[in-house]
Amino acid sequence: MKLARNIVILALTIAIVCPVAGQTIGEFKMDETELYAMTKQMGQFMRRFNYEEDQFGNRLYPKDHDYRSNEMRRKSLPILFDQEKYGKQTELQRYFIEDVTKDDSTYMTFLGGKWYSEVSTTFKYNGKNVNIMLFLAVEKEGLGSKWVLTNVYFSEFNKMFPTGELAEREKHFLHPMSHELDFMNIYKAFQNPDVIDYYASKEYQPDYLTLFFYEIKRGKLVFQHVDGVKFHVLQIKDWYFEVSWFNRSGLNSGWLMSNVVYMPEKEKNNLIKFYQPHQP
Amino acid sequence: MKKIIATLVIALCVVGSAMAQDGLSPERKQAIDSLALEKVRDLSKYIKIVGSKETPFSEANRVIDRAEELFMSDAEIGVSSLGSNQITYYRVRKYFEHLMRLNYDRVEIEWYNIEYVSDLQRQPDGTYVGVITIFQTFRGYDAEGNMVYKDTTKKDITVYVKRKETQIGGRTIGFWDVLLGDMRVKETTNR
Repeated sequence: MKLARNIVILALTIAIVCPVAGQTIGEFKMDETELYAMTKQMGQFMRRFNYEEDQFGNRLYPKDHDYRSNEMRRKSLPILFDQEKYGKQTELQRYFIEDVTKDDSTYMTFLGGKWYSEVSTTFKYNGKNVNIMLFLAVEKEGLGSKWVLTNVYFSEFNKMFPTGELAEREKHFLHPMSHELDFMNIYKAFQNPDVIDYYASKEYQPDYLTLFFYEIKRGKLVFQHVDGVKFHVLQIKDWYFEVSWFNRSGLNSGWLMSNVVYMPEKEKNNLIKFYQPHQP
Repeated sequence: MKKIIATLVIALCVVGSAMAQDGLSPERKQAIDSLALEKVRDLSKYIKIVGSKETPFSEANRVIDRAEELFMSDAEIGVSSLGSNQITYYRVRKYFEHLMRLNYDRVEIEWYNIEYVSDLQRQPDGTYVGVITIFQTFRGYDAEGNMVYKDTTKKDITVYVKRKETQIGGRTIGFWDVLLGDMRVKETTNR
């Protein structure tokens, strides 16, 4: 109840302060309230998440009294949730806010790692348009940093490497004395291409990024366009959330938390491996 | 040319006092933001002039030349609409020529009083990169004065900031050079 009241106070603060910036152009009134409230860049999401920007849009620095103030974060964090999804699920929202604003709270940083961009793209593959998800991470290099490709998801690649039934997998191996026979039996491994990977070590994991590069270099995959972008954030202790772009009217738009999951640190590894199989 | 010299002088005056430092202090960042915003405001002004049906062809071309000078030579403008996420790419000159040729009898281009400036991040070669977000509203009218098209677009403009040196009166003076890069133009929900 208190949280809901705070959201209203914040929305009202914005609504009260911002109309002064509205302009009259000819016969049209341009109301900028919604654009002020919109989280316009992912960087602004981070600033608002950390309270490095106040509710009036002023940048805060470490010397400022309210810089990263947990008290202020408790009031401002609700506006970073997709309210159409989380507006009524106040329990998760309340728990999240309570947890991330404790004394040992964590903050989002650009170079802090453990946040990934998912870029949904269209490529031409064998003459047809296909959807491929690209995963990227910020990597430090030279005097600064850059976004690098860390993995891809393309259903055609995944179909090539099904996990398969254990019983079936156990039928396919080279016996331990094959070396004494000059591996004369190795031809069996190549008889059925569908199961060739069963002959690899149990540590083996297909490298989809290499496959992706290979198909591009062969000219089989041709980039068409970007369809959308979202972010996966695992930087905050015990939480995973997605940040997506909401292009809509009202005071809750732009880059917002679209999926929030409580996830203890040790459970994050599998997800991180999916986004970035080869950790630096 | 006069404008370039003026900008250079402003750049030297604004950030000259902080030249000895390596990192970007908040004060220096604010000074650089001001330089970048000045370029973005110039861009806004040029879009309005070129888009206006009252601007003579020769004047519009002169303004397009000025606009091109704001950008890196390889900068592109990526445009998408509400109906399609697909991005159409234009070189700066083509974008302005497209704007000039729009088939309306009268257009209104106005800018919201919002400029959001990101932090500056360094890329591997040491150049700082930032993004400035601005919003524009466009209305196209037919010969009878009826509004036949309207959109509001979010423009995310890349800003490159590089430390450079020049010789003035035999002295080497450092300054920050600000150039615009790729611009993403995305239609927002109708407002």
